[in-house]
Amino acid sequence: MMLPVLQIGPLAVQTYPLALLLAGWAALATGARLATRLGIEGDHIYNAGLSGLAAGLVVGRLAHLIAFWPAYRLEPLSIIGLNARAFLPWPGALAGLAVSGYYVYRHRLPLATVLDAAAPGGLLGMAIAQLGAWLAGLEPGAPAGLPWAIAEWGVRRHPVQLYQVAALLPAFVVVLLVLRRQRRPGRAAWSALLGYGVSLWLIEPFRESSATLVAGLRTLQLLGLAAILIALVALRPQPEAKKIMRASERSSDGEPG
Amino acid sequence: MKRGLWNLLIGIALLLGVAWTWAGRVPPFVIASGAGLSPAPAVGHPAPEFALHSPAGDSFSLGALRGQPVVLNFWATWCPPCRSEAPDLQSASRRYAGQVAVIAVDQGEPAAMVQAYTAQQGLTYPSPLDESGRVSLAYGVHALPTTFFIDREGIIRQIYVGPLSGPLLAQMLGTIYP
Repeated sequence: MMLPVLQIGPLAVQTYPLALLLAGWAALATGARLATRLGIEGDHIYNAGLSGLAAGLVVGRLAHLIAFWPAYRLEPLSIIGLNARAFLPWPGALAGLAVSGYYVYRHRLPLATVLDAAAPGGLLGMAIAQLGAWLAGLEPGAPAGLPWAIAEWGVRRHPVQLYQVAALLPAFVVVLLVLRRQRRPGRAAWSALLGYGVSLWLIEPFRESSATLVAGLRTLQLLGLAAILIALVALRPQPEAKKIMRASERSSDGEPG
Repeated sequence: MKRGLWNLLIGIALLLGVAWTWAGRVPPFVIASGAGLSPAPAVGHPAPEFALHSPAGDSFSLGALRGQPVVLNFWATWCPPCRSEAPDLQSASRRYAGQVAVIAVDQGEPAAMVQAYTAQQGLTYPSPLDESGRVSLAYGVHALPTTFFIDREGIIRQIYVGPLSGPLLAQMLGTIYP
């Protein structure tokens, strides 16, 4: 099943950008709700997220303008035209992260707690974005003769986007559980990175085509593996001596142990 | 869980991780040529072959363009976004004449209508006629306009659904040319 464009009367809406909007809204709404539970004003999550998004869009668009300036010079009206593909993603993502990070720093918010609050929403948002990619037929799977293979672009394929949804939704639930039980801030965020890393590492080989680094190694799979290892190291239990030191620090501060 | 067990888990994750990443790598011959993949309207696949007639009755085949990058556009005269992108396609076909072929397959319209429209708008790139819709079906065209960017080896490198502007066309052309 493919539905790249939703035709609502005379209006043609592209499915993938619509899914990205929904994904962003779901991520921010979930993050704000969880932040309130963790003692941070939910508005901070909306502000950090939306300012990062705005910066990301502006920088991504400017980067596209610079990269393709000879073509824009011939067609100046397209400078103000909006198109989901007329952005360069990496400069936009870096600028977005920098601006959100600066917001957190400027308002002296506890970074680990903010990341804990944002992590489950991030996984949920990515799952919704993958559903959109499936409807639009983006980044399709490799041809497969399996009973659950689906027809995309005229060929029966691995429904990789749905595999990713199937990996991200359980990760979302697990991270919510970790957040409810965690004693040390940051564990939920690291768990989310672990879940996302596993979904990338496990599923990427079933895609039709991937960006590769050297010797045909898939870039996203390598990034997924790096995320898994970093998260596992960060989640490693603390040594006993450190635990005792922390407990004594707490008791000298008069905190209940 | 004890720290020692956790370290063991990290070691196992590293070993399994490297093994699955190595097993999932893309063979170099597939990256270069799409070899071993069936023709399909998907990125990385060989573009499905077709032969059609131009409005003037000349025969046209995609295979004859092998060795040259191809911008394969699907359109119709009644489609407003197709009309809006036509000047950009025309300008690209002039700028890259002899280096990149711009082909616009018209979907399901009579020859006289297409000929009149292209003459009126000064569109000089070939517009073969897909009167039965067979080629559109083979390329999985769900919405007009849809454009495929095909490299010299006949492999699809980009698919774009919607009207192209000059800058977007330049961006997509960068995937097949030079």
